[in-house]
Amino acid sequence: MKNLLNLLPLIAFVILIAVLYSFLTQDNDQLESVLVDQSVPEFRLPSLENPEIAISKSNINKLPAVINVWATWCIACKVEHPFLMKLKEESIVTVYGLNYKDNRTKALDLLKKDGNPFELSIFDEYGKLAIDLGVYGAPETFFIDKKGIIRERHVGVLTTKVWKEKFERFLNGDNDV
Amino acid sequence: MGIMMFRKLLTIFFVTFIFGLTLAEEPNEVYPFEDSIHEERFQSLLNELRCPKCQGSNLAGSNAPIAIDLKREVYRLVKLGKTEKEVKTYLVDRYGNFIVYDPPFESDTYALWLAPLIIFLITFSVILFRRFSN
Repeated sequence: MKNLLNLLPLIAFVILIAVLYSFLTQDNDQLESVLVDQSVPEFRLPSLENPEIAISKSNINKLPAVINVWATWCIACKVEHPFLMKLKEESIVTVYGLNYKDNRTKALDLLKKDGNPFELSIFDEYGKLAIDLGVYGAPETFFIDKKGIIRERHVGVLTTKVWKEKFERFLNGDNDV
Repeated sequence: MGIMMFRKLLTIFFVTFIFGLTLAEEPNEVYPFEDSIHEERFQSLLNELRCPKCQGSNLAGSNAPIAIDLKREVYRLVKLGKTEKEVKTYLVDRYGNFIVYDPPFESDTYALWLAPLIIFLITFSVILFRRFSN
């Protein structure tokens, strides 16, 4: 018994290392998402293409959809751009763009050059809607189900793997709350 | 190189260094308040709210774009006369408990709050056990 007690610090140490090691492989970029299972917040922001045209929540109406937060200053967004094009071309889901703290001209140039996957592009110069969505970086993607409820959120590049693991199951809407 | 030259260089080095430090401390934006209670509330909120991007620092200590946006939002809310609690709730509703340095005591955070107590109890009982088994 006494031997065991002497070993206790070692055992505690091993457990600590194991726990910390398991955190290493975890994706700690993903903060908890408060907005999951909530409705898309109300907003009113200009469209990227035309500052005169306002977009609001009621325009996000081709559901299910994803809202993709992107910017031209965001390198990772360039990486995921082909995947967003694929979502559009294969009509998997409607893609709405939230252009985040960006330059209008640069953003439009990029869409002209690389293709425009977005049904609508919201221009969020000061990150207003982004704050309401709890966005803290780009790219971020939110899945909106048929009823307009946010079902999942992904921070970082959207890939086929992420799509399969996190988003695909919400497509048919059979995961109703 | 004479000693004078060396001294000169050293002076230039330190002057640049110290000047550089003060520049780095310069806030990027100014948040004017008419009411000093509001100003204090704003400052204390910036110290108690975490920057979601740069996870090690608070809003006051960060100039990440998201921190600047959140500072602007906190400024707007405080100017509207919101209380400290209301501003915190507003941000927790969007960013989760992560954003506050003193998260509430609820199911998600039990481990966080209770871990120190449990570790203390284990340590204490081990010490007691060893004392008495001798």
